[in-house]
Amino acid sequence: MSTLVTVLRLPRGPDPNGRGFDPNSTRFVALCPTTISASTETWTDSVEVGEEQRARSALRESFLRTLIAMTNKQVQFHMYERVEVEAKFGASDIDVLNFQVSELQTPIGVQKEALLRAKHRKMLLMTVYDADDPPIELPTDD
Amino acid sequence: MAMRQTPLTCSGHTRPVVDLAFSGITPYGYFLISACKDGKPMLRQGDTGDWIGTFLGHKGAVWGATLNNEATKAATAAADFTAKVWDAVTGDEVLTLAHKHIVKSVNFTQDSSCLLTGGNDKIIRIYDLNKPEAEPQEITGHTSAIKKALWCNNDTQILSAADDKTVRLWDRNSTEVVKQLSFDMSVSSMEYIPDGEVLVITYGKTIAFYNALSLDMIKTVDAPASIHSASLHPDKDFFVAGGDDFKLYKFDYGTKEELESYKGHFGPVHCVRFSPDGELYASGSEDGTLRLWQTAVGKTYGLWKCVLPEMVVLLEGSPISTEELWSSVRVTIGLLVASLTKVLLP
Repeated sequence: MSTLVTVLRLPRGPDPNGRGFDPNSTRFVALCPTTISASTETWTDSVEVGEEQRARSALRESFLRTLIAMTNKQVQFHMYERVEVEAKFGASDIDVLNFQVSELQTPIGVQKEALLRAKHRKMLLMTVYDADDPPIELPTDD
Repeated sequence: MAMRQTPLTCSGHTRPVVDLAFSGITPYGYFLISACKDGKPMLRQGDTGDWIGTFLGHKGAVWGATLNNEATKAATAAADFTAKVWDAVTGDEVLTLAHKHIVKSVNFTQDSSCLLTGGNDKIIRIYDLNKPEAEPQEITGHTSAIKKALWCNNDTQILSAADDKTVRLWDRNSTEVVKQLSFDMSVSSMEYIPDGEVLVITYGKTIAFYNALSLDMIKTVDAPASIHSASLHPDKDFFVAGGDDFKLYKFDYGTKEELESYKGHFGPVHCVRFSPDGELYASGSEDGTLRLWQTAVGKTYGLWKCVLPEMVVLLEGSPISTEELWSSVRVTIGLLVASLTKVLLP
């Protein structure tokens, strides 16, 4: 016999406050250029943007590989106030906001496990070296 | 026997909706753009009618609107003498193409590299979107305002309909007329179906189907009222039409039989189009609304949900005899059963 069709809800109408095109929608996030502005003036130049994207990807990949290669290596952190601490590098979090380290040698003792905040530094230098090789002196910014 | 149909009403426009177009099917579904005399074309999710955004920038009534297949670009034609190209993801205006008169029609090529425009200055223009500052290619010949200009035959030819009561087929490269159709009255709308090369033309109360390559007539069908727009289903089994009497008509393409008619709009229907998957069709009206109608009434799709009654009550031998009363009784019983089912079943 006949079936009944109900309407789940009405179609959503326009937002009186804006023109729409929600930047958080799946489609916008997937199809739009990155939020980091490209160095090309016009985004319609898809060839240049594509090349820039490839370069960005390559740089990101080598950065991530560097982090992986540093795991379990002795690392020296140059922090503010000319403080330098050594530790064994563990990992970084996804946004590179924190570093997880072991055997952190601080002026007041050795911390077995520690989390170092990366963002709250003006500049952070890390030297990575094998235990047998002494580190090369890097120029420091005063 | 006609099923009652609950259309989905999309509000938001404040003036008559004069044109609408669907995109192709994209990984994010399909989309719908509507042109309105309020100057603010809107983008909607095609299967639900949910508003996505409004393209702001035109300073006059928008007469024509279109999307490219991927729904990444939109184009609009307006009474402010411009055609505009928009980024359909961000809503930003990308290009403004100045014309010398009201622009009525815009159409992308399959690869979105070129835009076809036509309007009251009687000239068809082809813009290369990769070189927008270059002068467009112009095709002259029509002696009155152009209503619609469409790419056809794999973007190698152009079909145009104008107030000079002709429909012309042009070669893109030579810009010469290949073939021409003449009518007794102005053509009110034109739709091109690439798959099968079918051209749907409406004039007066007639919906006519032509072969888009040869312009040979396939068939004509007459409707009960003056028709403003018609659309052929992708499977070519039905077509829908709407016009002056505010109703939507559904016909069998093979037998030309009128199958259903639906009331709903409060003004003449100006445009009607099937969705790319054929599951619904959208209509735009003088009443300022867009309505989405199901092709197969009773199917669960988009915002429509099919509810099967647990039991059916038959009113055999009932004194009620009119169709209208019978279906309204059935609807009432169905609703009662559905709500009882909800309450009684966990």
